[in-house]
Amino acid sequence: MTSNATRWALLGATTVTALGAGRAVARRRRRHQPDRQGGWYVVRRGVTVDRPMDAVIGFWTDRERLDRALAEWATLEQLDDNRWRCVASDPAGGGTEWRAEITVDGPGRLSWRVDEGPVPQRGHVDLVSAPQDRGTEIRAELRYRAGGLLRRVLGPVGGDEPDLGLRDALRRIKSLVETGQMIDTRHDPSGRDATQEKATDRVRERLTTGGRA
Amino acid sequence: MRALCWEGVGKLAVRDVPEPGIRAEGDIIVKVRASSVCGSDLHLINGYLPAMREGDILGHEFTGEVVETGPGVQRLRVGDRVVVGSVVACGGCWYCRTEQYSLCDNSNPQPVLTEKLWGHSPAGILGYSHAAGGYSGSHAEYIRVPFGDVGAFKVPDGVADDAVVFASDAMPTGWMAADFCALKGGEVVAVWGAGGVGQMAARSAQILGAERVIVIDRLPERLATAADRLGVETINYAETDVLEALREMTAGRGPDACIEAVGMESHDVGPIYAYDKAKQSARLTTDRPTSVRQAIMACRKGGTVSIVGVHGGLVDKFPLGAAMNKALVLRMGQMHAQRYIPMLLDRLAVGEIDPGYLATHPMSLEDGVRGYELFEKKQDACLRSVLHPAA
Ligand SMILES: NC(=O)c1ccc[n+]([C@@H]2O[C@H](COP(=O)([O-])OP(=O)(O)OC[C@H]3O[C@@H](n4cnc5c(N)ncnc54)[C@H](O)[C@@H]3O)[C@@H](O)[C@H]2O)c1
Ligand SMILES: [Zn+2]
Ligand SMILES: [Zn+2]
Repeated sequence: MTSNATRWALLGATTVTALGAGRAVARRRRRHQPDRQGGWYVVRRGVTVDRPMDAVIGFWTDRERLDRALAEWATLEQLDDNRWRCVASDPAGGGTEWRAEITVDGPGRLSWRVDEGPVPQRGHVDLVSAPQDRGTEIRAELRYRAGGLLRRVLGPVGGDEPDLGLRDALRRIKSLVETGQMIDTRHDPSGRDATQEKATDRVRERLTTGGRA
Repeated sequence: MRALCWEGVGKLAVRDVPEPGIRAEGDIIVKVRASSVCGSDLHLINGYLPAMREGDILGHEFTGEVVETGPGVQRLRVGDRVVVGSVVACGGCWYCRTEQYSLCDNSNPQPVLTEKLWGHSPAGILGYSHAAGGYSGSHAEYIRVPFGDVGAFKVPDGVADDAVVFASDAMPTGWMAADFCALKGGEVVAVWGAGGVGQMAARSAQILGAERVIVIDRLPERLATAADRLGVETINYAETDVLEALREMTAGRGPDACIEAVGMESHDVGPIYAYDKAKQSARLTTDRPTSVRQAIMACRKGGTVSIVGVHGGLVDKFPLGAAMNKALVLRMGQMHAQRYIPMLLDRLAVGEIDPGYLATHPMSLEDGVRGYELFEKKQDACLRSVLHPAA
C-alpha cells in the first residue's frame, strides 16, 4: 500500500482520537438538534487549513510529531492494505477504549466506523482544495446512534455531543497541521485556590469544547 | 512568585502564585522587567469585557529577559532582552501569513464565547480574560509566552525598559490606527483620547504624513503633554463643542481621518451620557460609544474613521446613517502587534518615536494596586503606571 494511505489512516486516527477526547470532556448541553437520517444523527463540519492538500496529508508522516501531540493515548495497527484499527483510550481516564476501523477510500477520502463503545458511529473525511490561495478544506461527516450511555448522559432530548467533539477534533487537527502544537492554558499560574481552580476549569471546558469549526 | 491578580469587579491584589513552566514546544518563559497598565485593563477590571475569573493575573504590555525556551524555539536564546506583543499569534495560519496577527486562528484555545458573540474568534491575548484564551498576564515575576519565536522581539541596545515596554501594545496600536487612515500626506487627523494609545496614534499620524493632528480629551494635563511632546493641537471636550471646533478648525471640511482611541467606557458631558452610563451599568448595553459617534459625525465626507478603542458588544444610537450617507471608510481592530513591532523598534532606536514619557509612574509590582488606582482615576497626571516585578 502506498505510504499516502498510511498517512491518511493517521489523519483518521487523529480525528477519531480527538473525537474520543471531545466526547469525554463534553458536558450536557443543548443547542440545535442534529439532523436525523434512518435512525442516525448526522452532523457535517468543515475546517480550512492553510496548507496545500499534499502538505495536509504529508503532515501525518511525521510519526514522531504525531506521537508527541496525540498518540499518547492511541495506537494504530494495520489490518490489510486499506484498513487500520485505531485503539484510543479515553484521555480523561476511566479505562474507556475506542476501537475504530479506518478505511482509505481513495485519494482525499477516508472513512471510519466505531461499532464497539458507547456511541456507534460512522464517519468520513474529504479533503478539498480551498478557493483562492486558502489551502485545504477538511470536510467531515459523522453519523452516530444516540443510544445507551449517551442517552443516559444526555437525557431524552438527545444531543449534539459528538457534534461538539467533531468540531473540537477539526480545530485540533488544524492547529496541529498549521503550528505543530495545540495551545493549552489550563496550567497557567493564577491566584486561585483549588476550589476556585476547579470552578474555572469548568468554565474553560465550556469555552473550549466545540468551537465553531 | 508574586503577581497582580483580579479579585472581582473593581478589585485587585498582589498574591503569591505558582511560577509558569514550558508547556509546549514554542513556549518561552520571560522574566518580566517592566509591565505597564493599559486602558484595556480598565474594561477588564470593571467587568465590561466578559469571562474574567477570580485570581486571573493581569498585564499584557511588557518587556523582560528570556530565561527558558521550549525545544521548538529557534530565534531566541536564554538571556535575550525582549519585548512581547500583547496579541498571541501562531505564525502558521492564513491570518498570520497575511500579517493580520490579531485575527490568528490558532491562538485562542477557548474560542466558544467569542464565536458566539462575534461569529468568529479572533486571536488570544495575554492577561486578557478567558474569552481571549485564559492566558496568565505579565504583572508577575515570570510569564509564559506561547509561540515565542513569533511574538517576542529582541530589544535594541540602549533603549530603556520604560520606553520599549510600549512597543508591546500602545505603539503598535497607535501605529495601526494611523496606518488605517491611509494617509498620503497633508491631511488633518483628529484623535479622540489622549491616553497612551491616543498619543502614539497622534505621533504615528505625524510620521505617516498628517499635516495637522488634533487631540481631543478632557484631562488638561494629558492635553498639555500631547501639545508639549508632539506639537499637536488640542480640544478639551468638557469646555468646547467638539464638532463645532473641528468644523471651524478645518474651515468647514471636517478632519480627513478620525481616530478613536477611547474605547467602551467613553465619557461625555450631558444627558445622552447619563442615559448611556445608566444602560451600561444595568448591563442593558455593553459599550458607551460617545467618541465613536462623535468621530463619525465629525469626519469629512468620504473620510476614514479608524477605531482602536476596544469595544465588546452592542451599542445604542450608532450613527449608521451619517457613516453611510457620507461614504465613510470604517477601519477597526485589535492591533497586529507582530506586524509592526520590528519597524517600531527601529524607529525607537533612532529616537523618531519616544514613548518613554508615557511611563509617568514607575513603581514596584507590590504597589500595583495603587498604580491602577492612579491610572483609572487619572490622578497625579498619571498616563501609565509601569510595574517592575524585579525591583
Ligand atoms: N485595538 C487595540 O489593539 C488596543 C490596544 C491597546 C489599547 N486599546 C484600547 O485603546 C483605548 C485607549 O487606551 P489607553 O491605554 O490610551 O487608555 P486611557 O484610559 O489611558 O485613555 C483613554 C482616554 O480617553 C479619554 N476620553 C474618555 N472619553 C472621551 C471622549 N468622549 N472623547 C475624548 N476622549 C475621551 C480619557 O479622558 C482618557 O484620557 C482603550 O479602549 C483600550 O482598551 C486598544
Ligand atoms: Zn492593551
Ligand atoms: Zn495564526
